[in-house]
Amino acid sequence: MKPLNLIALLLFLGGAVWALTRSDRSVREIQNAYYSAMAPFLKSGSKLETHARAFLEETRHSKKLEAELETTREQLGRLRLIESRFRALEQENSQLRHALNFKEATRFDVVAARVIRRNPTTWWQTVEIDAGSKRGIGTQLAVLSNEGLVGKIDRVDSGGERSSVLLLTDEKCQVSARVEGSPEVGILSGQRGGFDADPMLRLRFLSANAAVRPGQRVFTTGRGGIFQANILLGTIHSVDKGALDSEALVRPSVNFADLGAVFVVLSADS
Amino acid sequence: MIRYSIATILLLLAAFVVQQFLPAFTGIHHSRILLVQLLFLCCAVTVGQPTMLLLAFIGGFFWDAQCALGPHGGDPEVYRQQVENLRFGYSILLFGGMGFLMQGIQPLFKQGKWHFSALLSGIAVLLYLTAEYTIINFVRGEFTLSRATMLQMTYTSVLTMLFSPIVFWMLFTIARSCDHSIKPEAGRRRRPR
Repeated sequence: MKPLNLIALLLFLGGAVWALTRSDRSVREIQNAYYSAMAPFLKSGSKLETHARAFLEETRHSKKLEAELETTREQLGRLRLIESRFRALEQENSQLRHALNFKEATRFDVVAARVIRRNPTTWWQTVEIDAGSKRGIGTQLAVLSNEGLVGKIDRVDSGGERSSVLLLTDEKCQVSARVEGSPEVGILSGQRGGFDADPMLRLRFLSANAAVRPGQRVFTTGRGGIFQANILLGTIHSVDKGALDSEALVRPSVNFADLGAVFVVLSADS
Repeated sequence: MIRYSIATILLLLAAFVVQQFLPAFTGIHHSRILLVQLLFLCCAVTVGQPTMLLLAFIGGFFWDAQCALGPHGGDPEVYRQQVENLRFGYSILLFGGMGFLMQGIQPLFKQGKWHFSALLSGIAVLLYLTAEYTIINFVRGEFTLSRATMLQMTYTSVLTMLFSPIVFWMLFTIARSCDHSIKPEAGRRRRPR
């Protein structure tokens, strides 16, 4: 091997080792710098995409109706969220009255955002939304749609106008979940390589004789510090009972192929 | 030579910008055109080893900056079996490996047989995706390989490979404008005619 090639190889390996030993914080800083440099291109690109989408939609609806529909959708989403929150509060109130250990629940504040990019990476199931830190969004916040839980915020661009959402269908998005009408609690997550049109979620660590059946709804437990309680996740599709524990396949309540508007939960129970 | 090397680095950086606007084809098993990888592979066969390694470092480093996921978060008491992240920087080594593979057929390329390099770029992308998926399985456990994933990798490789003639054409044009020959032996054979 030529001396120059050997030096280049050693430098390359040194650089690779340096990169491999970066901490999570350093990686986030590198990512922020990368996306800051990309921001002007991404902004103009998403503008073009938005214009193209609006043009296509205009052929079907008038602009006025489109705006009204969008506003109504957002309001409907908000009202559904508030309604589900009230139900949770009612239940909580009843429990607390019995326990005489009242703890006041505060507000449930959400920010509406649009999905501007889908699946920008090869293996991870993520989407990008047009809201960032300028609207109070930070990492590890729950993201909902009218139909249920969408995922959580994974990254917020340093520009403050965009965020990346890790979808519930990704293997890395884990949610503490409970099955309605049973004491069963488990961890729900997506499946590896689950890019099918009809993705299924895995509900693991259920008890060996879990009394769950297809059709039962699955909700968040509120444990784990990321997702609020009683958010709809999906319905049980099938149950696989093992010797030590059981696992269920869950059909998500959200249609991930048709994500348009989402809501980021800024604050809930305090 | 130096001008051409700088041009390839700039081209690779431009590929990162263009890649942002290349969505996954949902109708073809979420396959996509991996322009960054393709450009690196095509460049790798036209440059020397030191430049190839520099391109591999830049390509892998920025690819991971673009794709890396954040930490899991949440209460570790509840989420006891957290899903592991891939280490930032693993792509640098994968890019380096692909680069060495492409350099293996550099003698053929220098004879003007760029078609072999175009074909190998598709094979290299397939190997890259397979290696990446294997690493994910190794790090996270529970080896699973569905038909959908296999089709996704295959279609991605084929789609990416189809664009390699365009990239080679771009590289030949750039090389000409830099007064640099990237297939010198082919040129030497033609001159006596």
